[in-house]
Amino acid sequence: MTENERIAIAARLHVALRRKTGRVTDTEWMAANADYAIEVLRFARAHAAEQHDAELAAIADRLEQAMAPIVAAARLRETLLRQGAPGAPASRYVGGLR
Amino acid sequence: MKHRKLAVGLSALLAGACGGAAAEPAGPAVVAQATISAADTGWMMTATVLVLLMTLPGIALFYAGMVRRRNVLNTMAAVIGIAAVVSLVWFALGYSLAFTPGSPWLGGSSRFGFAGFDHLHEAGTLAVSHIAPRIPESVYAMFQLSFAVITAALVIGAFVERMRFAAVLWFAALWSLVVYVPIAHWVWEPGGWLAQLGALDFAGGSVVHVNAGIAGLVCAYVLGPRRGYGREPFEPYSLAFTMVGAGLLWVGWFGFNAGSALAADGRAGLAMVCTHIAASAGALSWMLGEWAVRRSPSLLGLCSGLVAGLVAITPAAGFVTPGAAALIGAIAGLACYWGATALKRLLRADDSLDVFGVHGIGGLVGSLLTGVFADQRLSGVSGSVVTQALAVGAVALYSAVATALVLWLVRLIVGLRVSEDTEALGLDLGVHRERLGG
Repeated sequence: MTENERIAIAARLHVALRRKTGRVTDTEWMAANADYAIEVLRFARAHAAEQHDAELAAIADRLEQAMAPIVAAARLRETLLRQGAPGAPASRYVGGLR
Repeated sequence: MKHRKLAVGLSALLAGACGGAAAEPAGPAVVAQATISAADTGWMMTATVLVLLMTLPGIALFYAGMVRRRNVLNTMAAVIGIAAVVSLVWFALGYSLAFTPGSPWLGGSSRFGFAGFDHLHEAGTLAVSHIAPRIPESVYAMFQLSFAVITAALVIGAFVERMRFAAVLWFAALWSLVVYVPIAHWVWEPGGWLAQLGALDFAGGSVVHVNAGIAGLVCAYVLGPRRGYGREPFEPYSLAFTMVGAGLLWVGWFGFNAGSALAADGRAGLAMVCTHIAASAGALSWMLGEWAVRRSPSLLGLCSGLVAGLVAITPAAGFVTPGAAALIGAIAGLACYWGATALKRLLRADDSLDVFGVHGIGGLVGSLLTGVFADQRLSGVSGSVVTQALAVGAVALYSAVATALVLWLVRLIVGLRVSEDTEALGLDLGVHRERLGG
């Protein structure tokens, strides 16, 4: 799944949430950050369950599938950091290359 | 640099002949072909090719490997575009304004369009520069062209992934003419005010590296950060590309530094040795610094460290011993590691590929240490840290102000940044409608 495809699905969820709940989200950040994506998914699914909104739930499922590698990488980083692994990629390339 | 030694010698000679009156240095001249050294000419043509190799494809690979996948082709296109634009500017105006006698601030117009580069077969004469009288002026002009090209190409590392392509080309043309050319004249033309002052810059510590580093920092501030900078990881496309680029830079730097002796002589040999020793020391000191701080030695650290060592030895290569070169390289490796990490965080600028951290800091360290370690027995001149600091300060100040003016002008002409959509999509597709294969 390319970054552009992830952004496209995140954009669909953004529009749906804006229309159905009034909630405004950050599309690009949703497609890049695992923690933010998980929180948006939690909110979307809670609303979908409350309103019996199958369409919203389906979009949330698609985003979850698209974000799976990002979420897995984030979890790996957290594990490495907890273990004190040298050069854990948590902050690697954020704000600088070196 | 040999230019300076020549200027000092020529000035002393003429001053003595004229009873102490100030004398203009001689300008380009037409001489008999028999006065040309075939060995020097052959070496300088080789050195020119080596320096061009540093840009095409050295810098292109070095930088393209560090940007995100969606901006690799744009970065490479920018390097080629800059090489072409700066070459034509150099041909039309730049060489003459930089390397012919004029005022202490700027050269004359006698070589606009490479006019007067005569090679007359029947008469057996050809044109030479007063700065390098044993090689054809055409070779000297090409050698200096390759310096003008790489200096402008270095700056783009500070603003990759967000600048309009038209703006890149306009910036390169104007920056080369307004910023690089006057500084080259100040330092390398014997009548330039910093050359007269006694500033030492063998191959471009201040003219190329401090200048490019400061310009890069100004560009980073004026353009602003890339979207998502500091919030999300910007994964480099291929550090293998970067390593290949760094290798080409290391090898090409022998042309850059040893070529700056302007002759195939002992000083060129010394510069070559110093260049290699400093690169090695820089690579290892950066690696050790990173190993100590981050507990892992990285390939990017090794590549960055060797470049730091090369940058720092550039102003010193023909003035210092190999032992001093090792020390300069080692100090530069650590200083540039600090410049590209801790100092970068303090400056809060998205200098994307650390042009200031590596070239600005490396050039500053090398220029100042040239004042400390310059050995009179090697070159006939001794250094002064105060003079070196003055020269670096003057170059940095002029570069900062003039670069800001050039950016202001380019913003008026074509605008500086791509649209948010283009930046998100990537400049390869958004600007060039091309995609990296695979």
